[in-house]
Amino acid sequence: MFLTMIKPLFKNKKFIIGFSIFIIFLLMGFLGPVFYRVDPTEMTWDYEQPPSPSHPLGTDTYGRDILAQLFHGIRSSLYIGFLAAIISLVIGTFIGTLSAVKRGLVDDTLMAVTNIVLTTPSILIAILIASYLKVRSIEIVALILGLFQWPWFARAIRAQLMSVMSREYVNLSIMAGYSDLRLIFEDLIPTIATYAFMSFVLFINGGIMGEAGLSLIGLGPTRGISLGIMLQWAVLMEAVRRGMWWWFVPPGLSIVAITASLLVISTAMDEVFNPRLREE
Amino acid sequence: MENVLLKAENLRAYYKLEKVSVKAVDGLSFEIYEDEVVGVVGESGCGKTTLSNVIFMNMVKPLTLVGGKIFLKVNGSFEEISALSRDEVKEKFWGKEMTIIPQSAMNALMPTIKMERYVQHLAESHGLDARELIDKTLQRFKEVGLETSWLKRYPFELSGGMRQRAVIAVSTILNPSLLVADEPTSALDVVNQKVFLKVLMSLKRRGIVKSIILITHDIATVRQIADRMIIMYAGKIVELSPIDELLEKPLHPYTEGLLNSVLTPEPEVKKRGIVTIPGAPPNLIDPPSGCRFHPRCPHMMDVCKEKEPPLVEIEPGRRVACFLYAGERT
Amino acid sequence: MSRLVVKNLTKIFTLGFFSKRYVEAVKNVSFEVKEREIVSLVGESGSGKTTTARMILRLLRPTSGTIHFEGTDIWNDLNDKESLKDFRRKVHAVFQDPFASYNPFYPVERTLWQAINLLENTPSNKKEAIELIKESLFRVGLDPKDILGKYPHQISGGQKQRIMIARCWILRPLLIVADEPTSMIDASSRGGIIKLLEELREKEGTSIIFITHDLGLAYYVSDTIYVMKNGEIVERGDPDSVVLNPSHSYTKLLVGSIPKLYRKMEDI
Repeated sequence: MFLTMIKPLFKNKKFIIGFSIFIIFLLMGFLGPVFYRVDPTEMTWDYEQPPSPSHPLGTDTYGRDILAQLFHGIRSSLYIGFLAAIISLVIGTFIGTLSAVKRGLVDDTLMAVTNIVLTTPSILIAILIASYLKVRSIEIVALILGLFQWPWFARAIRAQLMSVMSREYVNLSIMAGYSDLRLIFEDLIPTIATYAFMSFVLFINGGIMGEAGLSLIGLGPTRGISLGIMLQWAVLMEAVRRGMWWWFVPPGLSIVAITASLLVISTAMDEVFNPRLREE
Repeated sequence: MENVLLKAENLRAYYKLEKVSVKAVDGLSFEIYEDEVVGVVGESGCGKTTLSNVIFMNMVKPLTLVGGKIFLKVNGSFEEISALSRDEVKEKFWGKEMTIIPQSAMNALMPTIKMERYVQHLAESHGLDARELIDKTLQRFKEVGLETSWLKRYPFELSGGMRQRAVIAVSTILNPSLLVADEPTSALDVVNQKVFLKVLMSLKRRGIVKSIILITHDIATVRQIADRMIIMYAGKIVELSPIDELLEKPLHPYTEGLLNSVLTPEPEVKKRGIVTIPGAPPNLIDPPSGCRFHPRCPHMMDVCKEKEPPLVEIEPGRRVACFLYAGERT
Repeated sequence: MSRLVVKNLTKIFTLGFFSKRYVEAVKNVSFEVKEREIVSLVGESGSGKTTTARMILRLLRPTSGTIHFEGTDIWNDLNDKESLKDFRRKVHAVFQDPFASYNPFYPVERTLWQAINLLENTPSNKKEAIELIKESLFRVGLDPKDILGKYPHQISGGQKQRIMIARCWILRPLLIVADEPTSMIDASSRGGIIKLLEELREKEGTSIIFITHDLGLAYYVSDTIYVMKNGEIVERGDPDSVVLNPSHSYTKLLVGSIPKLYRKMEDI
C-alpha cells in the first residue's frame, strides 16, 4: 500500500529534481564530517584566508575551516529541521485527531488552544524562551521551534477528519465495534497520511528557516555549529562589507537550496497526490 | 413532414479521448413534432445528457460530432444546424429558437449576481433593448407564479423550487420553439416537482414554447406530461412510442424491465411486483456486439449477438429496435 | 413484545459557540417495530428521519426520550463492552451512499471481515472464515471471484450495496436499519436490493426499518408506514390506508404530488 502510494512520485520531474538536491545535502551532512576530518572549531593562524588547497572554502576571522563548518552546519540544521518537524507532526496529529473524534468540549478546548498558539507571534515567544535559557542545546532550539509550528496542521487535519468522520464507512466501523483508537489507526490516519507527509516536508523547512532566524539574532544554539550560526558569525564580523564571500555564500546558498528543494518536493507531492481525476 | 420541428438523422457523437472514444450517442434518428412533449428516458450513462448537448450543437471538446445531421425548422424552413459551428448556432439560435435547462441549472447560478443581471446579459448578447426585456421578464415571472420583486434578488435568497422557476422564466423569455429540460426535477422535492411540471405545461399551453424534450431517468414524471417517449440504452434508441401504448404494452425487453422496476405508490405496482434486470449497463468505450442489450436480455437469440437490430416501425408511430419483432414489419 | 420501542425521542442540535441557536431535528417521536416487521419512516430531506436512524443505531445520543431494543434501553443500559458488542451484532445498517460505505484504502471484503470478527462464534480458522464470506456473497448473488481482493472503485454501486447486505447475512441481525438503500443505484438494480432485504426477513425473521423519501418504495415493502415532517410523525398506518386514504394534510399533499405510472395527474 505504501509502495503504491510512493511510486507515482518518482515519475514526477519536479519531485525528482527537488529530491535529488535534498539527497545531496543530506549526504553532505552525513558523510561530509566523516570524510573531511577537520575540526570546525579549531582556531589556526591562517585567518580570513580565501579558498586554497589547504582550506577548500577558506577560513574565518579565527582561522577556522569554513568547509568543515559547512558540513557540520548542514548536519545540525537538518537535524534541527527533522526534530522540529517530528515534534510538530506529533502534536498536530494528536490534537487534530482528538478534536475530530471526541468533538464537543474536548474539541472546543483544543481548538481554543490551537487558535491561541496560531495567533500569537510565535517568533516572539521563541525569542522570549530562547533568551531566558542561558544554555541552549540544538535539541532545545528544535523543541522551541517544534512547539510553535503545528497549529495550522492540527486545524487542517481536524477539518479533513471531520469530513471523513461523516462518511458512512466510519459509521460501519463503529458498528463493527471498533474502539476510538482502532478507528483512528485503521480508518482515519490513512486518509491524512499523504497530507501529513507533505506537511512534514514543510515542517522541516520551517525548522531550518526558524533556526537560521533565531541564530541570526543571536538566539540560536549556544553549542555546536549550524548554518544559521555560520551566517551570524559572518554578519558579526562584517564579512559582506569586507568582501569575504567564501564565508557567507556557502551557508546562505545551502539554506536556500535545502529549503527550495523541500518546497519543490512538497508542491510535487501535492500534484501527484491530489490530481483532479485519479485514474486507476 | 410539415409539422416536424426538429429532425435528427443517424446522429453519432463520441467523446474522443486520447486513446479511446466513448460512444455516448451512436446512430440516433428521430423527429420532434410541433406542439408535443417528448420524454427521453434511460439509466445514468445511457447518453441522454449527451443527446441534449448534441441537439444544441453544444460540442465542447472532447465531445465531437462524428456523423449525422440535425435539422431545425426556423420561420417555416429547415436549417441544417449540424453543418454550422457551435458559435454560429449559439449566436443564431440559442435562446431564440431553442433553449435548454441543463442539469442542476438552479445550482449553477452565481450567488453574487442578481437575477436581473442575467436578463440584461441576455439582451446585450442578442442586441435587444434591456428595459423592454426586463418588462417582459416581469410579466413572465407573474405567469410562472413568482413575485416580480424577486428579479432584483440574489439567487441564494430564493428556494430551490423558486430558482428553478426563475431559470425557466428567463431562459424562455425570447419565446423559443424548442425547450430541452435535462433532469429538471431531480433536485427538487416532490411538491416542487409537481409545481415545476405545471409551469412547464402552462408555457406550452400559452404557446410560449412549441415543443418540449424532457430528459430524465424517472418514467413516472415523464408519464405525466409526455405525448411520446424515447427509451435509450447504451447510446442507442431501443424504443420510440406514444406514451399510452408504451405503458400498455412495452415492446422492447429493456423497456419492459425498466417499467417493471418503477416503484410508485399504486396498487397496480404492488400486484405487479418488482423486476430486476440482471447485470449492469455496458461501458460505452467498448459496447457489446450486436444488440447492446443482449447480455442482459431474457429473450436473447443467436442473431442478437451478431447483428445490430435496426429501429423499425412495427405499428403506426411505434418504433422498436429488437429482433423479436423482425417479422412484424409494416 | 415489540423488538424496538422508541418513546418520545427528541434531538436538539446546538449551533454556535457563543450565541447558541437550537434546532429541533426530531420532536417527540414514538413508534414500535415488531418481529419480522418492515417499517418505513418516510419524509423529505430535513424531516428528521436520518437523525432518528442514527439514534437507533447508537451513533448519535438523543437529547431526551428512550429507545428500547429487546427490552434494553440502548443508551442507558449498555454499559459494559460485552453487552454493547451484543447490540452491535443484533442491530445493523445499510446506508444510502455505496461509495461512502467503503474505505478506499482497503479491499472491499474488509467490511465482511469486520462482520466476522463481530460474530459470537467466530470461525475457528481463517479457512472457515473465508468459506463464510464466500457463502454470504453467493447469497446476495455475487461471484466471490469478482469481488474478493477488489478495491471499492473497481466494482459498481449495485455490487457495493449487495456486499453490504452480504455483511448482514453474516451477522444475521434482528434489526436492520436501511437508510435510503436504493436511492443512489440504477433503477434496474434497485429491485434486487429490495428482494434481498425481503429474503432476509423471510428466512431469518429480521425486522427492517426503511428510511426513505420514496413513498413508492415504502408503499411496496412496508407493513407499517410513518410519515415524518419537520421532526414529527404526522401520520401512521398500514400502506394502503396511508397512501390510498391519507388523513393528514401533508400526506395528502405528498401523495398528490408524487407522479404515478398508471395514472395521469389531472391538474397539470
